[in-house]
Amino acid sequence: MAKKSLEVEVEDEGDAAQFKMPVDSDHKATEFWLFSFAKPHMRAFHLSWFSFFCCFVSSFAAPPLLPVIRDNLSLTTTDIGNAGIASVSGAVFARLAMGAACDLVGPRLASASLILITTPAVYCSSLIDSATGFLLVRFFTGFSLATFVSTQFWMSSMFSPPKVGLANGVAGGWGNMGGGATQLIMPLVYELIKKIGSTNFIAWRIAFFIPGVMQTCSAIAVLMFGQDMPDGNYNKLHKAGEKHKDNFSEVFKHAVTNYRGWILALTYGYCFGVELTIDNIIAQYFYDRFGVNISKAGTIAASFGLANIVSRPGGGLFSDYLSKFFGMRGRLWGLWVVQTLGGIFCVILGRTNSLAGSIVVLLLFSLFCQAACGLTFGVVPFVSRRSLGLISGMGGGGGNVGAVLTQLIFFHNSKYSTEDGIFYMGIMILVCTLPIALIHFPQWGGMLCGPKPGYTPEDYYQSEWSHHEQQKGYHTASLRFAENSVREGGRSARGSGHSKHTVPVETSLTDV
Amino acid sequence: MAGLRLSKITIALLLLLIACHVGPSMAVLFNQLPKTLIVTATTKSGDVLHAGEDKFTVTWALNTSLPSGADANYKTVKVLLCYAPISQHDRKWRKSNNDLKKDKTCQFTVVKQDYSATGKHEYTVARDIPTASYFVRAYALDASDTKVAFGQTTDANKTVNIFEVVGITGRTTGIFVSAIVFSAFSGLALAFFYVVENKKKK
Repeated sequence: MAKKSLEVEVEDEGDAAQFKMPVDSDHKATEFWLFSFAKPHMRAFHLSWFSFFCCFVSSFAAPPLLPVIRDNLSLTTTDIGNAGIASVSGAVFARLAMGAACDLVGPRLASASLILITTPAVYCSSLIDSATGFLLVRFFTGFSLATFVSTQFWMSSMFSPPKVGLANGVAGGWGNMGGGATQLIMPLVYELIKKIGSTNFIAWRIAFFIPGVMQTCSAIAVLMFGQDMPDGNYNKLHKAGEKHKDNFSEVFKHAVTNYRGWILALTYGYCFGVELTIDNIIAQYFYDRFGVNISKAGTIAASFGLANIVSRPGGGLFSDYLSKFFGMRGRLWGLWVVQTLGGIFCVILGRTNSLAGSIVVLLLFSLFCQAACGLTFGVVPFVSRRSLGLISGMGGGGGNVGAVLTQLIFFHNSKYSTEDGIFYMGIMILVCTLPIALIHFPQWGGMLCGPKPGYTPEDYYQSEWSHHEQQKGYHTASLRFAENSVREGGRSARGSGHSKHTVPVETSLTDV
Repeated sequence: MAGLRLSKITIALLLLLIACHVGPSMAVLFNQLPKTLIVTATTKSGDVLHAGEDKFTVTWALNTSLPSGADANYKTVKVLLCYAPISQHDRKWRKSNNDLKKDKTCQFTVVKQDYSATGKHEYTVARDIPTASYFVRAYALDASDTKVAFGQTTDANKTVNIFEVVGITGRTTGIFVSAIVFSAFSGLALAFFYVVENKKKK
C-alpha cells in the first residue's frame, strides 16, 4: 500500500538521484554520514538527536542546582525525592502515547508539539516558591522525555535496515547525553550570572531560561527544517494515496501478550531507569558527601551522562557484533553480562569512600549501564514486527518506571543514606537483570536453551497475523523482516548468500 | 654501628612526632569543647528577620567565673548563624555531627575577628540566608584555626531563643515578565505552525 503512494511521489519528483545520499528502494538512506546535514536524512538525524538532547537538558536542569534551590524553597529530602520521581513518571505514559502520535501525525509534528507544550513548564521553573511548585514543574518538564520514541521512530523512517541500528543508537545516546551536559551547563550559567552580580536565589532562576530557550529553538528548527519521511511529510503522503493503517486493538493485543516485551520493559528499567535516577541524585551526592563545590559536583555528575556519547552506541554496535557470531543468543548473553557488570559497579560505588575512587567507579558504572541500554534496543526490534512501535514504547516506558521505583525505594526519604541507597540499588540491578535468562525465541533460542527445531523466523512473525489477514497480504512486511533477520540464528543458521543486513528495524504501523 | 642505627631510629621518631603535630590534627569533637563564651543576641525568641534588611547585634564575652588564663590560646572569634533542629529535620545537608569536620549545623559566618575578652558586632542578615529557624554560636579558634571553645545563644537542646529568618524569594519582576513572555511565544509558535500545516493540507 505504501509503495503505491511512493510510486506516485517518485513519478512526480524523479528518481533516487534527487537524494544526496545513497538510498534503498524505500528511499531510506543506506549510509550514515555523521558530519553531514544532507537533506532529508542526516538533517532529520541532527534535528531529532539535538531536540531530544534539549529535552534531557531541561528535565535534569534542577538536580545540579539543588544545593541552591533546596535552600531557596526550604525543601526537605522528601520533597526533593518526590520531585525526582515526578520528573520521570510523566514520561511513562507519554512514551506510549508518543508512539501512537507518531503514527497519526508523523514524528515531526508529534515531537515538536510535545516539546513546545512542555517549554512553559521550563520557563515557569523560574517562578516557583514552594515544594509543590517544584514538583509540578519537574513533572510537566519530564513529559518531554517521550521524544525518545519519536527519535527512534524518525530514524527508522529515514534509515535502511543496515544502518538503522547505528542511527537509533547514536540518536538515543547523544540525546541521553543531555542529562550529563546539563550538570555542566547549569552550574556554569549559574556561576556566571552570580559573577555578573546576582544573588544566589535570583541567579538560579535566571539560569533556567537557558534550557527553555534551547528547547523552544530546537522545536522550531524541527518544524521548519524537518521532514517525516524521505519523500515528504505525512500530510503530503496522505494526499497522494491511501496508506493502510493497522488495527490499533490488534497491535495492542500482540504487544501486551508478548512476555518478552514485558521482561525487556523490566530490565530496561534497571539500565536506563537507573541512569535517570543517577542523573537526579549524583550531583547532590558528591556535593554533600565529599564537600566539593557546586561546579565540581556538576562536572563529576556530568561525566556520567556524557559517557553516553560512546557508551550507548557502543552497546548497540556490540550487540550487532555478537549477533554476527552467535545470533540472538549472543545478543541476550551480551545484554545480561553487561547489565550485570553495571550492577556490580553500582554496588561498589555505594561502598567507595574516597572521592577519587568514586569518580573512577562512577565512570565504569556509566559505561556498562549505558551500553546495556544500547544492547536492550538490539533485542527489542525482534520481539515483534507488527507491534514494534508499541513494544518500543513499552520498553521506553518501563525504563521510566524503573527510575520511579528506584527513587521511591532508595532516595525518597531519609531512611537510607545516599551511599546505602546506591549500594542497594546495585543489588536490585543484579536481581532484576536475571529475567533476561527467561527470554526465549523459538526460532533462535535464548540464553539457556537452544531454538525449537524446525521453527523459522517466518513462523514467529507470521503468528502475529490471523489467517484472514494473511490472505489479504497484510503480513508481507513481516515476512520481509523475517527474511532479513535470518542472521539472528547465528553462524550455523546462515545459509548461502542471505542478506548481510544487520538489525532490520522498520517503521511500525505505517507501511503495513 | 649500633650508634648509627639508634640515631636513625631517633630521627625517624622525631619526624613522626613532628608529623603528628604538623599534619591533620585529631578530630575536634563538639561534646568535648568547653563552653567558655557567653553569647547573646538582640533577637528574641520567635523574632522574624528579613534577609537583606533586618539587623541584629551579637555580643560575646568570656565567662568571668573561669580562672584567669583560660583564654590564653584564643586567637580568633568566629560567629556563625546556625540551624535550629526544626530546620534540620529531613534535611541531611544540615545535619549536626559531633565530629566538627563533618558538622553542618552552622553554615553562615556572621563575623570573624581577632579575639578579645568581650566583643560585639552588628549584623545585617545577608541576602543569601535561606528561610529557616536559627540561633547564634561563637567559636574561639587558636593560632592554627582549630576550634577550642564555644558559646551559643541557645541551650544544649537548642530549643530556646530560636528566631526566624525569611529569605528573599528571588522572584524579580523581570523574571516574572520574561517567563510569561517566553511561554506565550512557545504557544504562539506552535499555533502558527499548525495553521501553516492546515493551509498546506487544503
